[in-house]
Amino acid sequence: MLIGIDVGGTFTDGILCSEGRIINSSKHPTKKDDLQDSIFAVLDDLLQDLTNYEIKSNITQVVLSTTLVTNLLVTGGGERAALVLIPGPGLNIRQMEFFPHTYITEGATDFRGRNTEPLNEAQIEEIGKLIVAEGIGKVAVVGKFSQRNDSHERRVEEILKGRYPQLEVIRGFEVSGQLNFLRRAATTYYTAVTRDKWASFAASIKKSIRERGITSPINILKADGGTMPLNVSLDCPCETIFSGPAASVIGALALTMDRYTSVVVDIGGTTTDLALILEGKPLYASRGAVVGGRYTHVRSFAVRSIALGGDSAVRWVGNKIVIGPDRLGPAACFGGPGATPTDAINILEEGKLGSLSLSRKALEEVSRQAGLTVRGLAQTIVSRVNDQLKDSIKEMFKSWEQEPAYKIWEIIHKRQVKLERVVGIGAAAGAFIPSLADSLGCQALVHHYSPVANALGAAVARPTLTLLLHADTEQRSYYLNLEGISGRISSGFQLEDAKELARKQLKIIAKKRGIGRYADRYEYFLEEQFNMIRGWSTVGKLFDVGVQITSGIIDEFKGVQMHS
Amino acid sequence: MRDKQDIQKEVRKNERTAGEGQTGLVFFPAFDWAISPTHPEREERLLYTRDQLFEEGIMDLPQIRQYQPRLAELKDIARVHFCVPDVETQATEAHRIAAGGALVIADALMSGEIKNGFALVRPPGHHAMRVVHGNRGFCNINNEPVMIEYLRKKYGLQRIAIVDTDVHHGDGTQDIYWHDPDVLFISFHQDGRTLYPGSGFTDEIGGPLAAGATLNVPLPPGTTDEGILYVLDNLVLPVLDEFQPELIVNSAGQDNHYSDPLANMAFSARGYALLNEKLSPDIAVLEGGYSVETALPYVNLGIIMAMAGIDYSNLYEPDYRKDIFKEERGNLKRLEDIVHELTGIFRLRQELAEKTRRQGSGSLLQRHRQIYYDTDQIRETQLETLKVCAECPGYLLIESAAIARKGRHRVYCISIPIQCCLRCRQEARDHYAKMQRRNSNSFDYVYLQDRPADVYLQYDYRTKKERVF
Repeated sequence: MLIGIDVGGTFTDGILCSEGRIINSSKHPTKKDDLQDSIFAVLDDLLQDLTNYEIKSNITQVVLSTTLVTNLLVTGGGERAALVLIPGPGLNIRQMEFFPHTYITEGATDFRGRNTEPLNEAQIEEIGKLIVAEGIGKVAVVGKFSQRNDSHERRVEEILKGRYPQLEVIRGFEVSGQLNFLRRAATTYYTAVTRDKWASFAASIKKSIRERGITSPINILKADGGTMPLNVSLDCPCETIFSGPAASVIGALALTMDRYTSVVVDIGGTTTDLALILEGKPLYASRGAVVGGRYTHVRSFAVRSIALGGDSAVRWVGNKIVIGPDRLGPAACFGGPGATPTDAINILEEGKLGSLSLSRKALEEVSRQAGLTVRGLAQTIVSRVNDQLKDSIKEMFKSWEQEPAYKIWEIIHKRQVKLERVVGIGAAAGAFIPSLADSLGCQALVHHYSPVANALGAAVARPTLTLLLHADTEQRSYYLNLEGISGRISSGFQLEDAKELARKQLKIIAKKRGIGRYADRYEYFLEEQFNMIRGWSTVGKLFDVGVQITSGIIDEFKGVQMHS
Repeated sequence: MRDKQDIQKEVRKNERTAGEGQTGLVFFPAFDWAISPTHPEREERLLYTRDQLFEEGIMDLPQIRQYQPRLAELKDIARVHFCVPDVETQATEAHRIAAGGALVIADALMSGEIKNGFALVRPPGHHAMRVVHGNRGFCNINNEPVMIEYLRKKYGLQRIAIVDTDVHHGDGTQDIYWHDPDVLFISFHQDGRTLYPGSGFTDEIGGPLAAGATLNVPLPPGTTDEGILYVLDNLVLPVLDEFQPELIVNSAGQDNHYSDPLANMAFSARGYALLNEKLSPDIAVLEGGYSVETALPYVNLGIIMAMAGIDYSNLYEPDYRKDIFKEERGNLKRLEDIVHELTGIFRLRQELAEKTRRQGSGSLLQRHRQIYYDTDQIRETQLETLKVCAECPGYLLIESAAIARKGRHRVYCISIPIQCCLRCRQEARDHYAKMQRRNSNSFDYVYLQDRPADVYLQYDYRTKKERVF
């Protein structure tokens, strides 16, 4: 038996499933100031019909998707931290708005990992003094090109801790070895800000789950739709952001388990999240997740959020009908305060969703102002919602098609895909998805598990791991994007060696993270080699190799049963 | 003078861009293309530029909007070049994507999505001339003219200025616009007596009906930021101000850099940034530049920053030392003389064309040329004939013969410019028909480039088949 719990902005959903069937599900409003309370209200519902023996022996995995870190970052509720940057030449960081307590220090490293300017050690000591005087205990240290040579970052740590042993230092290269200094700086800082609070949250979650007799592994869902063991998440709390939309996408995969090209439409009360599944594979955002207006190195699905949901308020403003962006409460047909798109559908479907008379009453006022019949207004609202969703879906495809490419091969072999299906997620899916699919000219898939597909997605998601290796045979060195790992190579190192090294490292890290079972599911997604020519001869080679255990569904889950 | 110019530029841009503030970028390093494994035009060329741009995170900034290049159509190529034996042979996929990258930027600019744009693409193009028998100076297809003629056709632009800042003379672009009075071509480059292609002297001022619309500034080897910016401030900007183009294109080579292995100049990354800030091109297209580690990552970043209005005061090469870039007094004097001479020629341009028309309206003016293709080792001889017309820039006839290792080609080309008058158009079309009927052993192909009709024809004498683009 699998348990998936998705803590969303409005509701916390949970399911207990076994062999493709959902045995129990639960929904509670999310208490923003006490996420644990919401989680355990849901968990206790799920467990209520199980015996202690079943809880102990039959539950094989608990996966949790939570908004804690996102909330900390958005509300500024994390720890205070300082950011020390070693930018070297390039953008004028001093003129850019960064985080409070950002310090810029001298020193530079270039793209080949050569230190081109020394550190100013006296300046770093001075910065340490200022940080300590501010009463700050955590420092994120990030250098440009630190993945190609992290000696500057290490030396800064040494100096700071030498003088002030109480400081906790997090180095940029440990957090991410991918190119992009600004994203690395943001991600490292966010890690420093959230690590302690995440750790104490994780510890108490673990304790409470164990107290309930569950002995299975506890996993956390990441933005890339994969899971990681709870103890691994302690080092990388930022990976947990945006796991909610990821849960919905994996939920859509679980409902379909095929190779179609779909758009996943998760209709909530206030917002709708859109994501693409291209020929059975979820599309990733090319730039990493955005938090607090900043790009990070957190890999996430390409999700577009629009301010339009089943409960969006419908009003007559000036001389037009306006839908959203806010929600006043539930739809009128469920006792809410005013007209909503859900009421419009309820009218067209003759009260299938809720009270027809309440829906009519709510729409009447707006229809009078608009000079329409109630039915006419309902039709207008539904077609407006459809048009807006349709436009956003088209834009998503367009921006996917316009993703930059750097090779001739990629331009010539540009993939053409056709949208085949709309997969509806969320309680309102049944009401909205059929007419949206109709207007897009493709099939609609609304399953009776659609309302809890997000929690289902969390329950059945498998672990993921993405590893990038960069090797430079002239410098005889390589490094990974993960955990600040680097090492030496021979000058005769070839692409095959680079691939082999990447695969081995993937296996080691997977094992260390307790996901070794999936280490053989690797696939290469990047293989690049360049000859370095100086004068007219080859002086070395550069390699970039990417290998990953990509997102998907755990082996135990074979698909949903069509009839429960 | 700057104020007036700024205002005009402002007006010119506002008409088109309606307040959009982004800089468009096509970054196409063609990581799977090289002329040969150890050639300067190889896969590695923009590798460190990629590293620098990606690590810098410049594409994440709201000022930048990145685009994917597309394949230019064969017709886009035929609008500019007479390709021998055919377009496909000269314009490979790589060339069509590089040119297509410039077209993507052009479309984005015209639609108002961006305020300006940079096609950071390879392979380069500015040595490719009107007739193309092969690769010269690493170029087969000239990206800027392909883009400019597309802009003229699709959006009706007419007056355009190209400022070629590559260290090598942009002889291909010069050739393509030699007879066009509405395209101002200004090239500054290392003195042709000391560097490929050995041309670009001050007396190369354009054809008889377009004299003064081509301006060449040969710079002494070792010229620094100070010298180049002197030319910019005292020649290029005032001349642009007077010419009032609808569009300014920077043919943005980066081999004036002090570390370039193929040239001997002393320009810096910050110098390039300042140049682009002052020039404020609507579109920049990458040309040469082969200092792949020491110059390109910094110069490309500098151009992007300057075009996007991002502070570049912290941009410098790791080995940059401010004090070594002071211009020599003697060089400055030489540059002053050149600026004076060229300003005079530019001011006389209408008079020069009128004089030609008075003397020989209806006559045919000819020039013989020899063109050398260094990369592909081809020798081409040309007889170019210009029909002098009182009403228009006249049409052009080119007889071209090339001897390559692979064989010989003789072609006859007829080009009708976009501003051509009705009578000249008819004359040129009749001439094509006449050439086609001629049972000729002297030519392999006859071409007609009919820009007003946007129709491009190639007739094969051997198969008696005509291709239409």
